[in-house]
Amino acid sequence: MRSRLFLALALALTAARAFAADYQANLGPMPLDDETKAVIAGRGEATASSDGKTMTVKGSFHGLPSNATEAHIFSSISPGVPGTKLLDLEVTKATSGTVSGTFKLTAAEAAALRTGKLYVQINSEKAPETYPWGPKGTLWGWLLPAHVTVGQDVPQQDHWFLPQYDTAKR
Amino acid sequence: MRKHSLLLAGAGFALIAALGTVAFGQGAPNISKAGPFTAAQVTSGQQQFDANCAPCHLADLSGTNDAPALAGAPFMGAWGKRTTAQLYSKIATTMPAGAGGSLSPQQYTDIVAYILDRNGAHAGGTAFTPGTAVQIDTIASGRATTPTRTAQTSGRQESASASGQGNAPQQSNFARAMSGQHVPDPGTFTLPSRLGLTLKGNIQNYQPVTEAMMLNPPASDWLMYRRNYQGWSYSPLDQINTSNVGTLQLKWMWSVAQNGTLEGTPMVHSGVLFLWSPGNTVQAFNATTGELLWENRLGPDPRRPGPGPSTAETRSLGLWGNNVYVNTPEGYVYALDARTGEQVWKTHITDELKSPRGGMFGGSTGGLIIIKGRVLVGMTNCGANGDNNHCYISAYDAKTGKRDWKFVTTALTGQPGGDTWGKLPDNMRKGAETWIAGTYDPELNTTYWGTAQAKPWRRDLRGSGDGATDYANSTLALDPETGKLKWFYNHAPGESLDLDEVFERVLVDHGSEKSLLTIGKPGILWKLDRVTGKFIAARETVFNNVYENFDEKTGKVVYRKDIRDQKVDQWLASCPGPEGGHDWQATSYHQPTDALIIPLSQSCVFMLGNGSQTYFEMPGTDGNMGRLSAYRTSDLKPLWSFQQRAPFLTGVISTAGNVAFVGDFDRVFRAVDVRNGKTLWKTRLATTVQGYPVTFSVDGHQYVAVTTGLGGGSPELKPGTMLTEVHRPPHGYALYVFGLPDSQ
Repeated sequence: MRSRLFLALALALTAARAFAADYQANLGPMPLDDETKAVIAGRGEATASSDGKTMTVKGSFHGLPSNATEAHIFSSISPGVPGTKLLDLEVTKATSGTVSGTFKLTAAEAAALRTGKLYVQINSEKAPETYPWGPKGTLWGWLLPAHVTVGQDVPQQDHWFLPQYDTAKR
Repeated sequence: MRKHSLLLAGAGFALIAALGTVAFGQGAPNISKAGPFTAAQVTSGQQQFDANCAPCHLADLSGTNDAPALAGAPFMGAWGKRTTAQLYSKIATTMPAGAGGSLSPQQYTDIVAYILDRNGAHAGGTAFTPGTAVQIDTIASGRATTPTRTAQTSGRQESASASGQGNAPQQSNFARAMSGQHVPDPGTFTLPSRLGLTLKGNIQNYQPVTEAMMLNPPASDWLMYRRNYQGWSYSPLDQINTSNVGTLQLKWMWSVAQNGTLEGTPMVHSGVLFLWSPGNTVQAFNATTGELLWENRLGPDPRRPGPGPSTAETRSLGLWGNNVYVNTPEGYVYALDARTGEQVWKTHITDELKSPRGGMFGGSTGGLIIIKGRVLVGMTNCGANGDNNHCYISAYDAKTGKRDWKFVTTALTGQPGGDTWGKLPDNMRKGAETWIAGTYDPELNTTYWGTAQAKPWRRDLRGSGDGATDYANSTLALDPETGKLKWFYNHAPGESLDLDEVFERVLVDHGSEKSLLTIGKPGILWKLDRVTGKFIAARETVFNNVYENFDEKTGKVVYRKDIRDQKVDQWLASCPGPEGGHDWQATSYHQPTDALIIPLSQSCVFMLGNGSQTYFEMPGTDGNMGRLSAYRTSDLKPLWSFQQRAPFLTGVISTAGNVAFVGDFDRVFRAVDVRNGKTLWKTRLATTVQGYPVTFSVDGHQYVAVTTGLGGGSPELKPGTMLTEVHRPPHGYALYVFGLPDSQ
């Protein structure tokens, strides 16, 4: 397990030098229930590349029930826990489109990226205003270390990506 | 100091909530403003609530399991700052569970009026409408100021006696439909029908199930829940194998009642297949032809149309001697003659003890296990704070039904672990239900059971502080002949998020190492020494963010700080959520490859108290809620995994033919190669494939049986909301039996 983690880190470092996508996020609906699922929906993907001092985010989305209004990078204490707004992304004001942005990172922000604590959030017009993660939140996804993903029903042998095993601790 | 004050306040709130209307009018905040509803709406709303909501939320609105409390501090914490219009919208779009929008607007407005009334709001002269928006804590205090009206139905147990008086809700709906009133989908009705032995059997040459058979089950049979005492769900049959499983075909099927909850395990012996289905209907079939041999409808019928709650099923029957044994959600244990279906004996696990909340105390939904002539059953939904009742595991003489022993599953004052509940008196120590029957090691003469978390499951309401709340969330090792506790291991001390560690205990040997493996909702695969109860190893299988730290070398868990400091009006994120990384869909131990094949679920919740839950995809899963994974039990090494959008809703079986079978939420029943996880065969059935598949053989022909059905708790409810593209019929409860073509 430990050697596998080292291997992943080594690959990540190699990728950083090549300025490839070091992190990936699958964008899915923010918390919903039967009452709100009609206005909180859609899917997307995002990647982030970083040399430790800057970060470039690129992504796309589709299937929003209403037009996107804004998009941000948020910082949280852990994947799956809503956090606070950190950076603004450019976003297509439509139900499908792209998000993007390039930023200088502080040391703390770089550490947050490295440890899986940054996420992409896209807001849209008709999403609820009153949820505590912020008004209009529609899609989100945590930027996690780039890893192999396989399609549905396709078995993967041996190790399976899990953020708590495969994300740097510090 | 602040923390202690909050805990004391939490304890007080819990007591108030538990006492409900007993405390009405005593010190309630003075809210004199009239509520936006009428007394007539309250009266009507109570009737609607009792018929449609009380089966899950209970008649005193105190809630149970997935159904949150709708009165008192938990309700006010979640809803006090929101409006009546939001409450209406929530209820009208989501309730009854699995059938949101199925009642009329008037029924929903009246139910909201009743809930407000039970929280101390006063009726006025203006009728409540869907658009009426008043902040709830400006009109309600959380304490009722009027006495509870006489409940027409007061809980799951009181809905009917087992003698057949239980059809009132169905008759009422039927009558309403016939008179042209709005009713839920009429296709989901269980029409009033006669209970009792509706078809008497005459099975000749039935071979009694012996002690030797129980210890070493014949390859052809499926005699108990997980097939053997060790809980493997592994069959030595190999006629169906990786090379021919692709030719499987349907041999016969049988439709059962089209409502309630179906999560059962067919049993097979002597060429007879026994099945439990909603309404506590027990049937015997010719296992090869599907011919009905006998039927005993024990009743009561499901209380309302549509899918039932997680408290309305039983997960396995038991076979011993010439009898088939059944424990029912209403708390009865029956012995029926396996040859005729006639009742041999019947008892109640609490002797029909009346519950302070109405109905009878004690339910039993987790199936049973028969050890040395004793029928061992657990309990569920067994205790509201303030009364002196507790959950227990109990044993009954298989010949007579006489209770032999019982073991209370919460540590009481003076017992080992009794000091882990803070200063809570014994009558406030609740929970620790047993949702799945235990397993058994004949050599060690020890039976192993898992327990659910303490109740209320939020520590801010429970009042036990940082205490571990033994024996909740634990593995219990008991002497099956006396019920004496040999050891216990608390997996998640002080659990606070409805993430219990209650599911199957699988017994595996590696040389001299005698281990016990289990996995609960947090998704941690545990390995214990089953002789001593000592921790051996653990492995996280899904993403988990509820533990700030989990030490795989010691098994120690530390909850995230905001969970430790939780408050009733605070949103909390939980990955996994109450659907669980693993739930009741039990694992299979494939002995030839030392692989434990585990159905896993990948979803999270963001919850406000226990009053509102919103769901989201687990990070790192690409939106796939279902995962099937195999882990090597010797070292917990992952072997293979695949994931898919729909979660798996059956247990797993594996066979000597190197095939494993599993079914899912989206109606797919499949066979995979246990060595690499590749799907070898799949078919699509009428509705969600839900229950515990089994395999058996008759006259040299191997078969695979599985049920389809709906109902249940979080494993049904979460994907039901999140998988918006998955469409399932509200019917399709059935048993399917597959086999190879006759030419093979």
